[in-house]
Amino acid sequence: MDESPKPITILDSLGEEIIRIIAPVSTCMFLVVLLVTTLNSPSSSSSSSSMSSIATIAYSEKSSDSIWSKLTGALLNSLIFVAIITATTFLLVLLFYFRCIKFLKFYMGFSAFMVLGFMGGEIFLFLISDFGIPIDCVTCVVILFNFTVVGVMAVFLPKMPILVTQCYLVVIGMLVAYWFTLLPEWTTWVLLVALALYDLAAVLLPGGPLRLLVELAISRDEDIPALVYEARPVTNQGLESDSTLGVVGRNRDRRVWKERRDVDSDSGSNLNLNLNSSSNPSLGDNSNSPIEALSSVNDNQNEARLVIVEEGSQPSGGFVGGSSASELVAPLIERVLERPDVGEAELNQSIEVEGIGLGSSGAIKLGLGDFIFYSVLVGRAAMYDFMTVYACYLAIIAGLGITLMLLAFYRKALPALPVSIALGVLFYFLTWIFLEVFLVQCSISMLMF
Amino acid sequence: MEREPEEGGGGGGGRRHVGEGGLISRAPRVWPTIDGPLGLTEEDSEAYARSFFKYGFFLLPWLWAINCYYFWPVFRSNPRSFPRIRRYVIGSAIGFVTFTVLLFSWALTFAIGGERLFGPVWGQLVMYNVADRLGLTGWN
Repeated sequence: MDESPKPITILDSLGEEIIRIIAPVSTCMFLVVLLVTTLNSPSSSSSSSSMSSIATIAYSEKSSDSIWSKLTGALLNSLIFVAIITATTFLLVLLFYFRCIKFLKFYMGFSAFMVLGFMGGEIFLFLISDFGIPIDCVTCVVILFNFTVVGVMAVFLPKMPILVTQCYLVVIGMLVAYWFTLLPEWTTWVLLVALALYDLAAVLLPGGPLRLLVELAISRDEDIPALVYEARPVTNQGLESDSTLGVVGRNRDRRVWKERRDVDSDSGSNLNLNLNSSSNPSLGDNSNSPIEALSSVNDNQNEARLVIVEEGSQPSGGFVGGSSASELVAPLIERVLERPDVGEAELNQSIEVEGIGLGSSGAIKLGLGDFIFYSVLVGRAAMYDFMTVYACYLAIIAGLGITLMLLAFYRKALPALPVSIALGVLFYFLTWIFLEVFLVQCSISMLMF
Repeated sequence: MEREPEEGGGGGGGRRHVGEGGLISRAPRVWPTIDGPLGLTEEDSEAYARSFFKYGFFLLPWLWAINCYYFWPVFRSNPRSFPRIRRYVIGSAIGFVTFTVLLFSWALTFAIGGERLFGPVWGQLVMYNVADRLGLTGWN
């Protein structure tokens, strides 16, 4: 860590970045657990095993089947689901390759609308019915309309308040995750494992669709239009005695760097691009040249920003994405959830992202697909008992921590699902088999708890 | 968790004087948005404030509320600064409060009054009955 007038502890820089990604993940999981426990209680009338969707297209689980048939059915379901996901991701790569960005953005907005409007609306109705809230339909419609429209704007527009965008992304993740928990049990577990394996393959194998997408995005220096949660970049408060310049500079230099890049990409100044791919020392060395190169810009605003860029370009000594060393844009990895063509669709197609990477502003980006599947795992665990929830939650957070460490180590886009899902599933089954018996015996014998 | 002092640090006290070609100026700057340096600049802010204000008229009080939240520094600053943005933000605030008061009074009247006040129409208007009638919860 840097030595500075006010020493920055590792908690401030590294810890802050980690917390800013763990907090929304935890919130999403907590909300899903809350929904699952309130809506799936025995008194509610929602049937959990009769949902038809693309994930149960091959086999609908009935509780009377033998274990073997359940297992094979679940495997079949998962394989089909993963195959469809692969196909749609390749389609996505193709669209991105042919620069159909507008279509992708429109699709993103549309899927956000479907999730928030229809899934959110239906969950709202479930809640109203369960608790018997005497709300009238006019107020309901107004509330839902507001919620949906602002949500679509938050996803669509580049410049909504950061907190609003983050909250809406968490809500979207929560809604989709809740719908996934309605799948039959065996299918859910096998699906989670299959998706973790798919994620691993798609991101790390040379021919994997997600890897292709990321490489395309990096080579073109664009962001993939997708639903991605981006944590707010951390500023090192104490680095400058003049509070404004330091704080402002740190933030702005990352953002402005990207904006400058966008603005100047046509005007042919490739300086930014070069600097972006260079490593730490060269960034410091080149700090003078951008001033000359870009000083031809007349705008006061931009000049002021330029200054900040230069002054703020020292390595912040922060974390992986935090250091301005290599503005490694390793955007994101995408997944598409398939929309069933069976009548009313509960599962919706949305362009979501899986995988973890470093945003161009240096903040950590986590795909919405990861939020969803972590929450599905914890939601499923909640359907059994709370002790599995705690165990799975800890396992997932540990997995996320390990993934972040690997991200720091490898500095490229990584799949965020495999480690967490593996640990989560492992802990679920261990808890189910071993811990429960132990706890129950302890409680009965008044030994603990 | 998200309300970090960095916005305050960036948006906090003082003005920055950005002179022509003035490269070194250390006076801090007040940002019009709540995100501080990560948010919009003053020029872009006006367009955003205006469009949020306009679209709020489509029965979107939540958008007005978001507008006020987004430009909170403008709302709280003295009336002299950001005059153009300020108009829209104040307008949004007034619109949001009015709409919310109306909506709440209607919703509370409906909920508390119930059958006594409305008669059989209540049963037809209340949401869970409407949902059952239209089969909205039967998407499973």
